[in-house]
Parts: sequence; C-alpha cells; structure tokens
Amino acid sequence: MTQKEITIALAGNPNSGKTTVFNNLTGARQQVGNWPGVTVERKEGRHNYQGYCIRVVDLPGVYSLTAYAPDEVIARNFIVDQKPDAVVDIVDASNLERNLYLTIQILEMGAPLIIALNMMDMAEAKSHHIDIEALAQETGAPVVPMVASRNQGTDKLLQQIVRVTRGSTGSRPFKLYYGQEIENEIARLERVILKSHLSQKYPPRWLAIKLLEEDEEILKKFQEAEVV
Amino acid sequence: MSSEEILKAKDEGLAHLKSIYRDDAETIIADARYGFISGLLKDVLAKPPVERLTLSDRIDRILVNRWLGIPLLLLVIFALFQFVFVLSDPLMEWISQFFDWLGGYAAGVSPEWLGSLLANGVLGGVGAVLTFIPPIFLMFIAISILEDCGYMARAAFVTDKVMHKIGLHGRSFIPMVLGFGCNIPGIMACRTIENPKDRLTTILINPFMSCGARLPIYILLAGAFFTQHQGLVVFAMYLIGIVVALIAALILRKGVFKGASSHFVMELPPYRLPTIAGVMAHTWQRGKAFLIKAGTVIFGIVVVVWLLSSLPWGVEYASADSWMGQIGSFFAPALAPAGFGQWQAAVSLLFGFLAKEVVIGTMGAILAIEGGLLGGTIATQLGWTPLIAFCFMVFCLLYMPCVATIATIRSETASWKWAGFAALYTTAVAWLVATLIFQVGSLFTG
Repeated sequence: MTQKEITIALAGNPNSGKTTVFNNLTGARQQVGNWPGVTVERKEGRHNYQGYCIRVVDLPGVYSLTAYAPDEVIARNFIVDQKPDAVVDIVDASNLERNLYLTIQILEMGAPLIIALNMMDMAEAKSHHIDIEALAQETGAPVVPMVASRNQGTDKLLQQIVRVTRGSTGSRPFKLYYGQEIENEIARLERVILKSHLSQKYPPRWLAIKLLEEDEEILKKFQEAEVV
Repeated sequence: MSSEEILKAKDEGLAHLKSIYRDDAETIIADARYGFISGLLKDVLAKPPVERLTLSDRIDRILVNRWLGIPLLLLVIFALFQFVFVLSDPLMEWISQFFDWLGGYAAGVSPEWLGSLLANGVLGGVGAVLTFIPPIFLMFIAISILEDCGYMARAAFVTDKVMHKIGLHGRSFIPMVLGFGCNIPGIMACRTIENPKDRLTTILINPFMSCGARLPIYILLAGAFFTQHQGLVVFAMYLIGIVVALIAALILRKGVFKGASSHFVMELPPYRLPTIAGVMAHTWQRGKAFLIKAGTVIFGIVVVVWLLSSLPWGVEYASADSWMGQIGSFFAPALAPAGFGQWQAAVSLLFGFLAKEVVIGTMGAILAIEGGLLGGTIATQLGWTPLIAFCFMVFCLLYMPCVATIATIRSETASWKWAGFAALYTTAVAWLVATLIFQVGSLFTG
C-alpha cells in the first residue's frame, strides 16, 4: 500500500500549548534542525494515520504575522511559500481574544485552516463558555476542542486534518471587511497586482493588504520582481 | 515594469487614506481586525461579567507588586544561589575525593610520561572540571523550575521599568536570565525582540551575564579565599555582571544605536506546578552540552596544556621554562595592573577563550593538582591574596566570551563585525574593571 504524504503546519501563540500538541501528534518521531538562513529552531515530526503519512512542521510561536520579527517572517513564509496541506492553529481557549488575532491573519493568507481550541479545561475553570459551532461558522474553519495536556482531542484533530486535506470540508474563503475606503484601495491595488507574476504565487487580496500595511518583506518582493 | 506601477498605486492609496483618517493604514487595518474579533466574540463567547480573581492573579498581586516585585526578585535569585551551593558542597567533596583516589593510582602507571599525562593532565584538568557537575546541574534545575512555573515571565515584567531607563524593555530581561545558564540560549532568545536596535544591544550585553561555565571558577576561588562568605562572593559576581551589562546597554543604546525603545504587551501565563519530567528534560538539554564539552573540547585542551607544559623535553613540568610558561610570561605583564600578573593566570585565561570552565582545568593541569586541593595551591604557589582572587574572578566574569558564544553572536547578527566587537570590548571592560578594583582595593589592604 502506498502512503500518501501530507504536510501540516502547527501555528499558534506562545504559551498556547503548541509544543504539547506537537508532542501528542508525533510522539518520539521528531527531528530538530534550523530554519534555513537563520538559527531559529525548526521541529518536524511524522505520524501515520488512516493510510496517510502526516508530516508535522512546528512553526515558531508568534502573536502576529508581521515583517517586524524574524520568528513571524519564518512562520508566514512557510505558510505562503511551502503551502502546507493544512495549517493547524493552536488557540488558547481561555484567551480567545488575543489568540484570534493570529487566526484571522492566517485565514487572510488563504491557507486551509483548522482551529485547535486548546486548554478547554482552563476556559471552563474561568467560566468561559465557547460556542464551537458559531466559531466555526463565522471563521469558516473547522474547530476542534482539545485539552492537549491530557491528550484529549488529538484523534478528532487527526480526523479533521485528513478531512481537510481530502477537500471534503475545508475552510471557505475568508474575507474581513475593512470599511469602504480601505476596501476601495484594496480593490484598486488588486487590479494592478494581477498583472504581476507574484499574484500567481500569493493571494492578490493578501498582497494588497500587506502593501497598505507597508510590510517590508512584501515591498522587497515587489522591488525584486521589478529587477527580474 | 508593473512593479513600479503597483508601488506607485500603493503610495497614492496610502496618501488618500491618510488624508481621510489622519492615521497610518496599518493602524486602521489592525483596528478593523480587532473590531472583527470583538464582534465575533459577542457571538461565540459567554463569560461572567466580572472575572473572578484566579489563584494566579492573587499570587501576582504580591510577586509583581510595584514595591515588592524587585526585592522579591532579588530574594528569589539569592535563594537560587543558596540552594545551588548548599546542596552541591557535599556532592563536590565526594567527586573530588574520587579523583584524588584515582590520581594516586594513575601516577604509578608506567611509562613515566603516561603516568604524568594521566595524573597531571587528564585527571588534573578534566577531573577539576567534572567536580563542578553538581553545581551546574543544580543551577540548571533551579532555572528550569523558575521557567516552568511561570516566574520567569514575572521577572521580565517587574524589570520592565528599570529596563526602560536604560533604553531597553522587559523582553530583554529573559535573555539575560537565560544567560545565567549559558550565553548561547540567552543570545538565541533575543530573536523574540522585534526592534533591531534593542535586539543587537541585548545580544551584545549578554556575555556579561555570568554563565554556568564561569561558576566553577568562582566556587573554587571563593571557597579557597572567602571561606566564610562563599555564597555572598559568588552572588556579588552575578551582581557585578548585571550592573556592567546594564551600564553597557545604556551606553550602547543611548550612544551607539540611538532611537526610542518599543512598547509591547507582556504576557503573564498562569502559574503552573512544574512537572518533574519537564524540569528533568530541560535540565538535561542544558547540562548535556557541559558533559559533552568536558569529554571532548576540554579533554583535548587539557592534553595540549599538558604537552605544552612538558615541552621542551627535560624541562620541569609546568615551570616557567616550559613552552606554556613562555607563552604565559609573554602576556602576563599586561595583566599585572589587575593583580594577577603570573604566567599561570595568563595561560588559563587564554585557554578560557575556548570554554570558560577550562580556566580551572588549565590551572589544575599546570599546578598538577586535582579539584579539592587546587584552591589552596593557588594561594600558596601563586601568592594570591583574597583581593587578587576577587579581581581574577571579575576578569573571568567579564572578559571575552567563549568561542561558541562568539560564533553564536556571529550567526545571530549575521556579521563578523559585531562578533569581533563583542570579543574586544568585553575584554577591555574586564581589564578596566579588574584593574580599578585591584588598584582601589590595594589602597585599603596595603
């Protein structure tokens, strides 16, 4: 039987339990190395599940995906350049508001996302009640509640990973409305961006937003594209 | 061609938005995202209107209290050192006795040169370093516990205000504390600092944070010269390191890399009871490097030291006439103003560049004595006073970081220039501070 290999990326804030989820998924089958060009640690592991060989890449723990910190650039370059079959965003359920900032940035990149809602026990202890259905509805991404410290929810997460990579359920295109003025500029930029070959590699709307944010990495990409 | 068009369109768009909002598009976009999230949370999250204070919150009321925070932090660090030294003392005694016993055996091995290599070189050098396994591992255990229980994040929080005064912020504090274990993870932890100027400054001051490899030097000398106040003297070394680091940061940040320091929201994760498995795993990850170094680099250096001390043939082992003595004699005069102008000291410091714990290993190999007796031998053979020993410790604390740290600075800053700068300016600072203490101290002690 031939095994199909799929790649998933683990994203999440620091202290969201990302490492625990990674360990639960991959057990002892881990390799530690460095991200190319920088010495940020890169962890990778494997897990066989339902005939799939799932390659799990642990991204650096970050709060945001700007071009300001090397960790954030690494995380987002992996998502846009390597195009993993799915991105699993580990969200601390007891700190939803802060954690969701990263979530919506990943969604804006057009990545197939699964929200792993971790530390459900902590949320309950704080009497936070989360409507899982509504969260999945409004973000368009499947949501898996977990307590990674007790290895709860790992199997559900694996099922969801397989389902998303098969394309049977996936996150539907996510679009955050920025207000009329900004939306006008985004639309105008998108039209010119479509003429650049960069629009074949990256979602044009995301490029447009990044240009308006004057994201250094993206500006550099456009400047370099001109030389070529 | 089209890129130019795109960038022009972007500039026009930004100018237009600025005229409407009078704010950066970046800010407006971030606001819209937060707006989306708070809207989303209204539908998704139900929580009590007034958050009940958790146990973590109540602990934080004391530990990060505006007045109590810093005194408590100092108390925690002081307790950490007491924990390390009280527990490691008897353990070190046993290891040192074991090597004394082994050394007695080895000296009888024939041929004579092999006996000398084993007893003087290998057991004297590697043995002296291995004696320090207990304090180093205990130090790593203590740091791991503080990290795992969540106190390390509080330490960053309470120091934030002080750090701002020197142009940095609390986020620079964690790399500094990690530097107590080893400068390499400390320097690597600077990656989380967003502002490049803050980052470079924090990297360059990290070598002043006294790493675990320097601990053997203090323990040995403080034990021999300051029997009554051993813990206090070692604590003083760490404190001097911190103060020098802060002054260096102030000068670098306000003089060389000018510009405002950034603000950020600091996260205080809830306190958690550290698990034994977790603490052990973290301790082992850190301590492993020390054992590997003792087995490879230090072993190799010790053999080189033994060879250089035995050559040219026929010379008395480790005398001033040996090659080792000649190298040391060349550098020694430069160190005389700081009090330790003996060639043995110069040679130990030179080899200490390869790894700081080698300073002790080299002393052991030159003086041909194992861990337990080394301190006393230094006092009698080199004629050191407590003041000289203190200045030597200060020099070891501050002078050029080990070669592995230099390599890390080079890879983290992607520049040999900064790596070279780090090596030179730390040595200059070390010489200045040690000389100052010796000269001023000599006035009082005569």
